[in-house]
Formats: sequence, structure tokens, C-alpha cells
Amino acid sequence: MSQWLDQVIERGQAIDDWLSPVRTQALESLRQSQWPNRRTEAWKYTSLTPVEKLELSPTTAADNAAVSDIDGLNSLNLVFVDGKLVTDIDNLPLPAGLHIHSLRAMPASLQETARELFGTIKPPRHLFGLVNDALAEDGLFIDIDAGAHIERPLRLVNFSSAGKESHHRVLVRLGTGSTATVIEHGQGHDSSMSTGFAEYELGEKAHLEHYRLAMHTHQAIHIGGCHFSLHQESRLNSTLIGFGSQLSRLDVDIIHSGEHAKAKFNAVYLLGESEHFDLHSTIEHAVPNGTTEENARGIIGDKAKAVFNGRIHIHRDAQKTLAELNNRNLLLSRRGQINTKPELEIYADDVQCAHGATVAEIEEEALYCLRSRGISRSQALVMLNFGFIQELVNQMPNQALAQWLQPQLRDRFVEMEVK
Amino acid sequence: MLKIENLHASVEEKNILKGLNLNIQPGEVHAIMGPNGAGKSTLGYILSGREGYEVSEGSVEFNGEDLLDMDVEERARKGLFLAFQYPVEIPGVSNMEFMKEAVNAMREQRGETPLSAAEFLKKAKEACKQVQLPLDFLKRGVNEGFSGGEKKRNELMQMILLEPTLCILDESDSGLDIDALQVVANGVNSQRDGKRSFIVITHYQRLLDYIEPDHVHILAKGKVVKSGDASLAKAVEKEGYAFLGQDNTEEAGA
Repeated sequence: MSQWLDQVIERGQAIDDWLSPVRTQALESLRQSQWPNRRTEAWKYTSLTPVEKLELSPTTAADNAAVSDIDGLNSLNLVFVDGKLVTDIDNLPLPAGLHIHSLRAMPASLQETARELFGTIKPPRHLFGLVNDALAEDGLFIDIDAGAHIERPLRLVNFSSAGKESHHRVLVRLGTGSTATVIEHGQGHDSSMSTGFAEYELGEKAHLEHYRLAMHTHQAIHIGGCHFSLHQESRLNSTLIGFGSQLSRLDVDIIHSGEHAKAKFNAVYLLGESEHFDLHSTIEHAVPNGTTEENARGIIGDKAKAVFNGRIHIHRDAQKTLAELNNRNLLLSRRGQINTKPELEIYADDVQCAHGATVAEIEEEALYCLRSRGISRSQALVMLNFGFIQELVNQMPNQALAQWLQPQLRDRFVEMEVK
Repeated sequence: MLKIENLHASVEEKNILKGLNLNIQPGEVHAIMGPNGAGKSTLGYILSGREGYEVSEGSVEFNGEDLLDMDVEERARKGLFLAFQYPVEIPGVSNMEFMKEAVNAMREQRGETPLSAAEFLKKAKEACKQVQLPLDFLKRGVNEGFSGGEKKRNELMQMILLEPTLCILDESDSGLDIDALQVVANGVNSQRDGKRSFIVITHYQRLLDYIEPDHVHILAKGKVVKSGDASLAKAVEKEGYAFLGQDNTEEAGA
């Protein structure tokens, strides 16, 4: 047990609100948890030393952070600063069928429903998920009525500022046949620690377009997750963009709970300097006839370190499952590191599955070809790097978001040293 | 324009060029022929600046400057272009993006403003038409899934867009059927303007039926062993490289 975790439990015990019944369970699990070390499989390549060394203060007052709009996105922005919701959600122009509630001020009539979502999709094995269960006092419950088509993307910005520790939680429920776009956007570069977990319940035939822009950088520690439960014939299209920081870790769980659901999950991570990024994904095919396509691509420069663990678990009854998982990495420097582990665990006999992982370096011949047409070496590297991830960026359904991302992704390459 | 003197070069410690001399004036078309292993492609790579080739002796002057002292991109910006024998596939980088970046690098070198997307597209479309490549090839990854002939035409398209002053064509005819060969030849001929120079590296005389050379050089064992006018190419076609002697033709099988 670490001092940090002791302190989490102590603080969690002191919270008394409508979520206390679920917090109590989480606290009990935390008391029985081992603080992960390098022998803990889920944390084998990610050291928690930066968390152990933390001397941060839980947030007291939140400052307003200016969040700039993304051109052409026309999103409804919901802003958290250090875990505190600063957007006045009571005065938002919400379209019909969309209901947004703050976890801090949950109407009594909805508390039961929200409690049922809280912590039920997110598997209890994620230690920091339990920490979030215990400490997240602020967050959102986004409820979309059956049949509602929410055109405007919901953009949830989570900004972490210097010296702050924060925990926020997002619950999203998509009613039968509804559609929505949710963007989770993490930001911050100063020394800070945040956890942010989101749980999504996709009702029958619901369609969710989802983005997690994990853009905490430098000294910002962020540990979080996205967890999806897919009911009958629902569709999930999720894209994760990961930058690295002192410590960034995300756990993604996609659970096929109903038949004929389709999940597409693309992840792109771009790391330079001494950044660290760890992505663990688990796809659970618990029922027959599900489809999953997962593509993760990463570029690792300088002394950066990436961890990818992608697991597909096909339960005994999940016949006729189609599942593909592919992870490709480009190492730009000899000191960069990638630990990749695709895992297939199949208990059904009539399924189609494929998985693969590759690690490559920049092709000298391609570099020479570009340079031989007058393009500078540094620009050629940017083009080749960008080419490696372009395919996944192009697959993002939201063009405005893709356009906004392009220069930021390019800037990452420009900063990366290639040796 | 280009002056190669006593060039000695090796790759992986194997001597390939052993005292090559060549002098090219503006507007001239020089054909370089020779058996396999004579050093034809090596010459192209060395001129373009590819890594892995060691020049141990000799000099190359390009418009009065020391070519061997320049980076790959610098040579290109000063007007040198090598059409590759085996163009590389670059998935993820579109032809369009590639050429726009390259054209604008050239323009920057000449002190011109970069082309806008629309201006570039217009030029690119014209170039595509000229080499008979469908327009959607601009959107595809560089050479990605292109056939052999399409790759060669794509090289030519790049040449037309970049407007180099010295074009080196490394076996641009290999693997082409007669129609594709004519497209390539027409592309090259359209760029002959009396100032632009060409080095046409080829194994066969066939291409030279369409691109009339001013000079023909036979390269064997790393040296120019014979030079002449277009009739030399015809003689080679008829008699093969036998006149080089047993010692040289052996390498043809290597």
C-alpha cells in the first residue's frame, strides 16, 4: 500500500453524498488492492513512481479557463478545470432529447439511475478507476432520449493546472436508436495529476461517435479510461489521439453486451522527448455476432516510451464474432521504446479473428526519394511520419476535428528528434 | 553543365566506377548504354547523392559547383533530377502532397512564392494528362499499388512538374510495352527545349528510337569505353556488347 493510496482512501471516506453507496464499495476494493509495481502485469512497463512522489493539493476553487472553439465544429462545450465543472449547464441551449446533469447537483429523481450506471460498465480491475469512484465528486451525466439525434458534438474539456490533483467522471446513456458525438479532450502541461473516466451505455441501435483527445503533456500526469457497453445492433466509432506526458495511461474497454453490435476503435499516439504513454484496451465479446475493428498506430521519437496492450476476449457463446486488432509502431530513435502486446483469447470455435503488431523504423529509401525531389530531410521526415498515421486520421468521421488536429499532429513531428 | 572527371566510386567496398569521364553541355541528350553491372545505375545514384556510395577519386562539377559536396535535396533544388529505375512506394504520402511540397521547395529556391493549392492542382492535372495517368493517381499514396508502367510514368510526371535542368533517366524503358514506351519518350521529348540536358541510361537501343541522343556512350567495367553518335547505339543493337571483349561481356550475366 502506498502513502498516496492511503490518503485517497482517507479522503474518500470523508465524502458524504448520493454516490456514497458506490464509493464505499470502491474504497473496500482499494483497501484490498496491491499498489502496482513492475511485477503487476497491467503496470509492467509503466512506473507509478511519479504518482507516489506527488505533493499536490486536491482542488478547492476552480479558475475559469478559456477554452477556444474548434473552427467549424460547432460543439457544445462542457468545461472542467481541475476536475470542477465550470460551465453553467443550467443555461445551455440544449437540443430536444439531450439532458445534461452535474454529478454535484444530481436531482434526487435521477440519483438511482445514475448510480446504476456509475462503475457498472467500467470493470473494477482498474485501480485508478476505483480511485476515481472514491474521489470524483464532479462530473456529468449525459442522458440522450430514445430516438434523439444530437447533431451538435458535445465537447468535454478537462483542463489540469499547476499543482492540482483532480478527479472527474462522465456517464453517458444513449437511448434506443439515438445518435450523438462526444469528444473528451484532456489538456494541461504543468505538474498535475488527474483521473478521468467515462462510461457509455449504448442502447439498442444507438450510434456513438466518440473521440478521446488525450493531450496532457510534459509534467501533467493523467490516468483515465473510456468504457463502453454496446447493446443490440449499436454502433461505436471511437478515435483516440494520445500525446505523452510524464505519465499518461488510458484503459479502454469495449463490451459487446448485445448481438450484432459493431465497434471501430482507432488509436494514434505520438510521443517525443521523455514522454510516456500507455494504452490498454480490452474488447469483450460476450455475445454472438459482434464485430470489432481496432487499429492502433504510434510514433515514438527521442527517449519516449509507449506501451500498447490490446486484448480481445471472445467468450464461449460469442459465435460468429468478427474481430481484428492491429498495432503498428514507428520508432524514430534508438533510445525510444515500445512495448506492444496484442492478445487474443478465444473460447468460441466459429469466429474470425486476426491480430498483429509491428515495429518499424523510417524507411531510408522513402526518405531518399522525397529528398531527391528537393524536400528537406526534416520536412521529409514530417511527411513520412504523418503518412504513417494519416490513414487513421482520415478515417475520423468529423472533418472539422480532423482539420483542427492536423497542424497539431504535424507540430509534434517537427519537435521530435530523429537519430 | 555537367563535368565528370576521373570518377572512382564504390559501394560496400566494391569498386564500381573506375575513372569515368563525361562532359555534358546544355540542351544535349546523352545516352549511356552498357552491359549489366557496368555501373550505369551507380552513376545515377552518385549524381543524385544517394547514401552508401563512396567516391574515392575524381570530381563532378554541376554548373560550375562541386556537386559531390551537396546534400541530396540541394542537388535537386539546383536542377538535378533522377527518374528511378525502381520507384519506391510510399503509402500514406499522397502524390499530390509529395509534389506540392517538392514544387514549392523548388520555387523557394528560385525566390518565387509558393503555389496555392488551386494553382498547383492545375499544373498537376496537366502533367498527369501529359503522361496519361488518371487524375485520381494524384490522391493515391506515392506509387502505392501502381503497375510498373504507372510507376515510370509517375516519375516522368514528377520531372515535368519540377522542371529540372539535368534529367537522368535510369532505365525508364525497362518493363514497358511499346505504348508505354512511347508515352515516356513523348514526355521526355516534350521537355527538350535546347537548354535542358538529359542522361538516358538504358540497356537497349529501343528507347533511343524515340529519344534521339546527341551522344552515345558505352559504359563497361566502370568506365566509358566508347563514345559516338546515335549510330553507335544502333551498332550495339546489332552486334551486342561483344566488341567489348570476353572479359566485359561476362558481367552481363552477373
